[in-house]
Amino acid sequence: MKIMMISEWKRSLKSLILWTAIVSGLVALMLMLYPTFKDAFSEMENFLAIYPEAFLEAFGLGEGGLDMSDFYGWFGVEGYLFVNLIGGSYAAILGGSILSKEEDDKTIEFLLSKPISRDAILFGKAIVVAINLLLLNTVVAIVLLIAFTIYGDLNVPVWLLFSYAPFLLQMIFASLSFLISVFITKSRKVISTGLGIVIGLYVVDLISKLTDEFEYLKYFTPYEYINAVTIVNDEMIKPLYLLISLALIAISFITAWFFYRKKDITA
Amino acid sequence: MIKLEHLTKYYKKHARGIIDVSLEIKKGEIFGFIGPNGAGKSTTVRTLLNLIFPSSGTATIEKLDCVHDTIAIRKIVGYIPSEVSFYGDMYVHDFIRYACRFHGNVNQRYLDSLVGKLELDTSRKIEDLSFGNKKKVAIVAALATHPKILILDEPTSGLDPLMQTVFFQLLEFEKKKGTTIFFSSHNLSEVQRICDRVGIIKEGKLIKVETIDDIMKTRAKTVRIKTQDVIEPTAEMINFERINGYVSFVYTGEMTPLVHLISTLHLDDVTITEPSLEEIFMHYYEREEVK
Repeated sequence: MKIMMISEWKRSLKSLILWTAIVSGLVALMLMLYPTFKDAFSEMENFLAIYPEAFLEAFGLGEGGLDMSDFYGWFGVEGYLFVNLIGGSYAAILGGSILSKEEDDKTIEFLLSKPISRDAILFGKAIVVAINLLLLNTVVAIVLLIAFTIYGDLNVPVWLLFSYAPFLLQMIFASLSFLISVFITKSRKVISTGLGIVIGLYVVDLISKLTDEFEYLKYFTPYEYINAVTIVNDEMIKPLYLLISLALIAISFITAWFFYRKKDITA
Repeated sequence: MIKLEHLTKYYKKHARGIIDVSLEIKKGEIFGFIGPNGAGKSTTVRTLLNLIFPSSGTATIEKLDCVHDTIAIRKIVGYIPSEVSFYGDMYVHDFIRYACRFHGNVNQRYLDSLVGKLELDTSRKIEDLSFGNKKKVAIVAALATHPKILILDEPTSGLDPLMQTVFFQLLEFEKKKGTTIFFSSHNLSEVQRICDRVGIIKEGKLIKVETIDDIMKTRAKTVRIKTQDVIEPTAEMINFERINGYVSFVYTGEMTPLVHLISTLHLDDVTITEPSLEEIFMHYYEREEVK
């Protein structure tokens, strides 16, 4: 398994560097803008006051939400979304292609002629996905650590949560795409479905916050599970959400494993 | 040793895979598995490698079950696929090293000799290689691990005649070492050239298993007659054709009626020869259809 994992990781390195540069670069850019906007916050509050409460709530700026004049609040509103949406997209692409690409490119025929079990292929690839996402978030964590140390008092729990809560979200997207890729072997189709989930669930998250009528939808979107408001105000991820997230990831991977070990490889 | 017992595979989408295929390939034997595209050759190969699961029946390699002992089987099997698909962004030398690493230590000198014999440029990227050169990579990667069993699916496609000869020499060397070789092909002349026995598969069913010598000793004869007289084809005349005044067919019946027929004709020319394997193959195929 180790031989395959090393080779797999090497092949994924270029895209990992690219996506990490995009996500951490955007985060750094947003953080660099903070001093410029900080002075304009009093005016911005007046500006925001004209928006309906539900709209502000959707972006975490409602009552009991984030304070954008605070550095953590600023990141929670402006930077965190990028990490989640772009990082989530990378997770969906990586999770969706790592298995299906082998079948799409027909290299699976080579791999399965070598002394390696399907279980090892599946788990090896899942571990590579987790390692890559962990590395991406660690680079973001370093950027955040530098920024938080420069601009404000470093709150370690909030920093860690902002750095690694997206990992949980990304793992959900990656595991869902991974599961889909067991059934759909065309990489492009898997990736577009995975990206559809990333965007679709974000829309669900927005809708759940717009009106009380749809509030129940928040349980169906992982963006809510790692909500910036809870991270900044309560310094935590709600245990129920943590449990749902872990269960989703585990169920997706176990289901993928269950079907993959009995699957006919006809590519 | 490779043993298939009542091996059957039905596909969900495509109705036919293979039906009740039973055969036994002895240690050190080169077994040709022939049939046209879609006959079930690749399905059989894929079942042996556990890429697909059999619907019923069993397949064993060295008494190891193809479904339950996959890793043990893959340790002793070298596989050359019909369509070579490797990681395009890898360099050939990196890929061969990667492929061999799964099998532990590989004799570098032997590996180098294979690369030399096949004139393979290992410094290039796989995606830049022609189909034939990709095939060479597959051959090197399969043979370098000293497999006890070789499973070859159309292994010569893409190779030029010179390289085909080198490849057959390598197979003969493998045979001398005691390697059992399952040689799936639709190219009958190469099967005739290298194989000890041959199995003919048609529409998923194994219709004949014979030694090459026995199959060539078949009573069928290729007859070529130049005559102005009209010859009416009979059931014993396979592949009946009239071209440029010549009538040709493979005759599968008793000799006396054939000789009698020829004696009644006004002949310009006549030849009666042993049929090629292609003609025999067609003979089996058409006979099965008549059944």
